Amino acid sequence: MKFIDPHHDHWHATVGENAPIPAPDAGANRLLTLEQWHAVREHWPHDVLAGVVVPNDRDIEVLDGDLPRLATIVLQFPKWVDGRAYSQARLLRNRLRYRGEVRATGEVLVDMLPLLHRTGFDAVQLRADQSLESGQRALRFFADNYQGDVHETQPRFARRAA
Amino acid sequence: MYQYTDFDRHFVQARAAQFRDQLERNLKGDLGDDEFRPLRLQNGWYVQRHAPMLRVAVPYGELSSAQLRQLARIARTYDRSFGHFTTRQNLQFNWIPLVQAADVMDLLADVDMHGIQTSGNCIRNITSDALAGIAPDEIVDPRPYCEILRQWSTLHPEFAFLPRKFKIAVTGATEDRAATLWHDIGLHLLKNEAGEVGFKVFVGGGMGRTPVIAALINAFVPWQQILVFIEAIVRVYNRYGRRDNAYKARIKILVKAEGKKFFDAVNVEFAAILERDIDGSAQLITQAALDRMSASFRVPAGIKQEVRMCADSAVGDAPLAYTRWRERNVHAHRVPGYRAVTLSLKRAGQAPGDATDVQMEQAAAIAERFSLAELRVTHDQNLLLPWVRESELLALWQAAKAAGFATPNIGLITDMIACPGGDFCALANARSIPLAEQITERFADLDEQYDIGDIDLHISGCINSCGHHHSGHIGVLGVDKDGAEWYQLTLGGSDGSTASGGSVPGKVIGPSFAADEIADAVEAVIATYRRERRAGERFIDSVRRLGTAPFRAATDDVRQATAVAHA
Repeated sequence: MKFIDPHHDHWHATVGENAPIPAPDAGANRLLTLEQWHAVREHWPHDVLAGVVVPNDRDIEVLDGDLPRLATIVLQFPKWVDGRAYSQARLLRNRLRYRGEVRATGEVLVDMLPLLHRTGFDAVQLRADQSLESGQRALRFFADNYQGDVHETQPRFARRAA
Repeated sequence: MYQYTDFDRHFVQARAAQFRDQLERNLKGDLGDDEFRPLRLQNGWYVQRHAPMLRVAVPYGELSSAQLRQLARIARTYDRSFGHFTTRQNLQFNWIPLVQAADVMDLLADVDMHGIQTSGNCIRNITSDALAGIAPDEIVDPRPYCEILRQWSTLHPEFAFLPRKFKIAVTGATEDRAATLWHDIGLHLLKNEAGEVGFKVFVGGGMGRTPVIAALINAFVPWQQILVFIEAIVRVYNRYGRRDNAYKARIKILVKAEGKKFFDAVNVEFAAILERDIDGSAQLITQAALDRMSASFRVPAGIKQEVRMCADSAVGDAPLAYTRWRERNVHAHRVPGYRAVTLSLKRAGQAPGDATDVQMEQAAAIAERFSLAELRVTHDQNLLLPWVRESELLALWQAAKAAGFATPNIGLITDMIACPGGDFCALANARSIPLAEQITERFADLDEQYDIGDIDLHISGCINSCGHHHSGHIGVLGVDKDGAEWYQLTLGGSDGSTASGGSVPGKVIGPSFAADEIADAVEAVIATYRRERRAGERFIDSVRRLGTAPFRAATDDVRQATAVAHA
């Protein structure tokens, strides 16, 4: 799991004076809203990888077809107990076969880390008050799990050795 | 019953260690109370009126005597020496200080128990038929599937933060003893015409302020695909369930609002998992996996079919109390020569479903002597012994009687369901226990109880419906008006058992009753039934035939405080 320091993040939103620029110019490490991406995807150069932020109430499958052009997909937790982005991440990995970065942002607490890891997130931007040390500890409690996930597809009951 | 593997044991210990870490961070101030709350809830810890309440999971109701002894020890050492068995086959403690929570979790882990997902907006403990695996009317033993579902749902990373709680009940018998249609997902195991095993799947049932009976979404999902179908349902719910209003967040609201669109979305998702997902086929249950799981649920080695000639010679000259106990508390068994026996937790002087530490020890000892050290927690808050030799019934009755478990009242008016109510629960609007006590006292005469016959009386202290008032033939709901306790009376509800008819919420009769009127009102309902019934007609059938009007008139006649207000 990559822990993102927001002060040293190389991905940058393309924001104008007050709001996102409707159709930003292509450039490296540009983090676009879904609307921006849809506005520019036709003419965005195929050799410049973009990043896209997807709200948690959007169908993640709208990105199907664009995935090889995206280096990072930023999913959101507006409240940490709103679990919709876990489904989005899992579908990105296990249905759409996305190999790029899947990043968790918003109200991301250390206690979410095992769930984030197992549903396919590989980068998190923790809420500012969260302790990195607790986060690393949170990832170590469980050596193995009951269900399949994006890392181990076989559920435990399906495996021969108990 | 299921035997924990090393993996299961390590997993529960890991969960206990994780919880200890979270608790310590909370006590140190590093983890705020608001953020600790969902974490402790998913381990069974509520904060209640007096102290935190701990709800311990009893997966699909199966309990060993060793586990019950440990629960007794926890009750004695950390609580005020009692626990409360719930309608979802769990056990609740009421007085354990939060600072001792992690120690209790360790003690539970020592006997393969925990509080995982007994609360919170996640998939709750799977419930099932208390007679699973032993009922003569069983088509397929649901327990191997329950265990697969338990494992699948335990700390499911995608479904840990659903819009609201999510409850699954499974039955494999023709008779529904698990109130399945009152659940978010109700599963009926059956065989199709070709003899293949599958599930009839119902979705969107629930109690609370909007009682809804689950709708049939699929008449036959082959057993191999059941996890995939459930995953499709839960994923659609996770995505579309309302999160703006906790009162409208259950899946029943989504199913009601979207109807066919919801069903279509589930079917599309189901097909997508199977056809497109990397791990779609990994989620299919194979015959080998089912066989491994089923090995845990074979008839125990000690069970041998018995010739019936020597069975129960005592009946002829046995006391009336024993005859009655045999009639009410002893149930048919699929193995000849065996019976299932209910230990009644409904008796004067104790709240329905409560057991003291001493009683838990006694029940454990009885189970060890008569039932291969196994027990079940029943949906109606009693304990059940699944492996009793018919030839030992008299000896069991004597032991049960000595320990206070032999009240021959199963299915009768004093065998009521009741939540802990306002005496313990911070959510409750009104108390349940004093009313349960009054009714137990008023109908103490067993002859009278037998004359009234089969009846489901369900009492909830608030609209959250833990006491299942919606499904009671008589339902009582505690409501709060201007800080005072009031009680709403409903008639004609059904949990979906054959005797009660199709699942349906009861109808409210009249305005709420004051606390000092409600027991009179229940009594008036019973008196009306006894006056109006036809020969052999059960209470629920009389209510259906007569409608609520005569009952309402009778209950209005006993109003005192509310007489003027509603005259």
